[in-house]
Amino acid sequence: MAKEFKPSVVTANDLIEGDSVFLGALGWVRDIAEARVALSRDEAEVLEADGVAGEDANIVVGPYLIEVSVATGRPVPVLRRERIRVSGVPTIPFGVAAPAERRAA
Amino acid sequence: MYRYDEFDRRFVDERVAEFRDQVERRLTGALNEAEFKPLRLMNGLYLQLHAYMLRVAIPYGTLNGRQMRMLAHIAETWDKGYGHFTTRQNIQYNWPKLKDVPDILEALATVEMHAIQTSGNCIRNITSDPFAGVAPEEIEDPRITAELLRQWSSLHPEFTYLGRKFKFAVTGSEHDRAAIKVHDIGIQIVRGEAGEVGYRVLVGGGMGRTPMIAKELRAFLPKADLLPYVEAILRVYNLHGRRDNKYKARIKILVHETGIDAFRDQVEREFATMDRAAVTAPEGEMERIAAYFAPPELTEKPSAPVAFERMKTLDPDFAQWVERNTSAHRVPGYVAATISLKPIGGVPGDATAEQMRAMADLAESYSVDEMRITHEQNVVLPHVALGDLYKVYRGLAAIGLEAPNKGLVTDIIACPGLDYCALATARSIPVAQAISKRFASNKRQREIGPLSIKISGCINACGHHHIGHIGILGLDKAGVENYQITLGGESTEDAALGQRLGPGFGYDELPDVIEKIVDIYLDLRQGRRETFLQTYRRVGMEPFKEALYATAD
Ligand code: SF4
Repeated sequence: MAKEFKPSVVTANDLIEGDSVFLGALGWVRDIAEARVALSRDEAEVLEADGVAGEDANIVVGPYLIEVSVATGRPVPVLRRERIRVSGVPTIPFGVAAPAERRAA
Repeated sequence: MYRYDEFDRRFVDERVAEFRDQVERRLTGALNEAEFKPLRLMNGLYLQLHAYMLRVAIPYGTLNGRQMRMLAHIAETWDKGYGHFTTRQNIQYNWPKLKDVPDILEALATVEMHAIQTSGNCIRNITSDPFAGVAPEEIEDPRITAELLRQWSSLHPEFTYLGRKFKFAVTGSEHDRAAIKVHDIGIQIVRGEAGEVGYRVLVGGGMGRTPMIAKELRAFLPKADLLPYVEAILRVYNLHGRRDNKYKARIKILVHETGIDAFRDQVEREFATMDRAAVTAPEGEMERIAAYFAPPELTEKPSAPVAFERMKTLDPDFAQWVERNTSAHRVPGYVAATISLKPIGGVPGDATAEQMRAMADLAESYSVDEMRITHEQNVVLPHVALGDLYKVYRGLAAIGLEAPNKGLVTDIIACPGLDYCALATARSIPVAQAISKRFASNKRQREIGPLSIKISGCINACGHHHIGHIGILGLDKAGVENYQITLGGESTEDAALGQRLGPGFGYDELPDVIEKIVDIYLDLRQGRRETFLQTYRRVGMEPFKEALYATAD
């Protein structure tokens, strides 16, 4: 049996900046809240094709579909990996913030 | 240390110019990602979870103050102000922008550094003993051999596109601090029967999803035969290694499937029939390289200067740091000092630009302008006079890098894991931080004694979990992070692969689980001098298994 369909968005890395981007109504956006959400398999196929077009146009790298939950209105990825990507940063204080926080602790 | 000659300089400059052109063509769309990806990988540029990642080579882990300052400058100018030192003695930047990478490479080239051979299916940056040229028992500085191999491999067209990546490590001491037994080719400098210097050659070690301990290919290889012999190995690998399956393409699989004796026959046959003269290093080349690694002229000094002894009495924290973080030097009155990049709760291997500059200052003032990066993700100041040690210690304390924990339970190795890495199945850094905080007390750490914890965020094993006394491998089980634990791994001359304890544990359980393992060890050990590894080897897995799984519901 085919896997149950879950709402999905298309994500990729920006070609120049390298950060996570999402396919929105008018192009690639950095806030997943503005991402187009596919609610059916057919919509997902269209979305995916649009993502690939973004790679062909050299705007993004490696587009792929991720499953999201839309319970709160804002799409939240199902997988931890994608949630971390969406946040745009590690789950821990990093770089110059890291040692300072440790000293304060 | 090694300085570029005209040839090296031209080679690196040309590569920078070439990559600048490739990036430009990528940005204008003349190259698509499929065309560009292999090119960027050849220049150390990956695409990770949140950004591009640039891996910069630090050949055999050696660098000077000027180079470290440049690493700091790059971190501040084109990244977020820090870098990550890896288990391959390299540094990684986590946030570069594609358009800036050519400028970064150009900046690196001004201090004779680059990102070549840090990625892709080539012979990778060659690693070595962080105490090279320092350790009293060393036969010869292994970096001379490492540099010879680097030159041979950098320019070798035949080996630029191997079936898979290929890693060398070289040690000049019997005590192996370069983990040569888990490399594709491990080289140990040894003495022959007549006292002449040569090599013991190991082959087929590695980690990843199919970990193996390297096997001995040659007990003694005359020095002059090194390049033809490794070339013979590479040729046999190139000819017979599998290219149909990425997971079976490493030489360890070939050696394992062929059997070491049959593999040796093939290599020896190739070696016997090849045109060795065409490959052998030109007369005088080894001497030319050796001159760069001539030991610095250090004047012998008292082995217990009065001021040093007094400071140890006055400042017990300093005394602890000296005891843990300094190692013997071949010249009396000096030590090699290890700067732990593992402050309690920190990110293993990370250093900020400010810390890099401070380390560069200390190296320039007190360590003949030299530093080493270790595969334990620490930094070594290799030549510090005892009389200067307190100043070094205070300098480190000022930047929060005075942890006296070298080789102890909080000296944890961790790969970037799911916080950065696109391949990760679970996080490793926060796991390391939680364990580090749990064992924060110096007193307790010293009571426990030598214990290495190594954490990888996926089966690729960049965090060397297979050779940790306690290894932790982060996996994904139906969307939940799950950590498999191995015990009894070891990286040195008596290298061993850790054995699986049993079913994995959840993220939140880990500090408790590790603490339990440590407590069982403390309970079972025969006296304080029996290390964790010795106890494990004596009692085996059972007592640990029992305590951890029997009580669970
Ligand atoms: S072990 Fe896996 S998660 Fe860790 S750095 Fe390597 S590839 Fe990434």
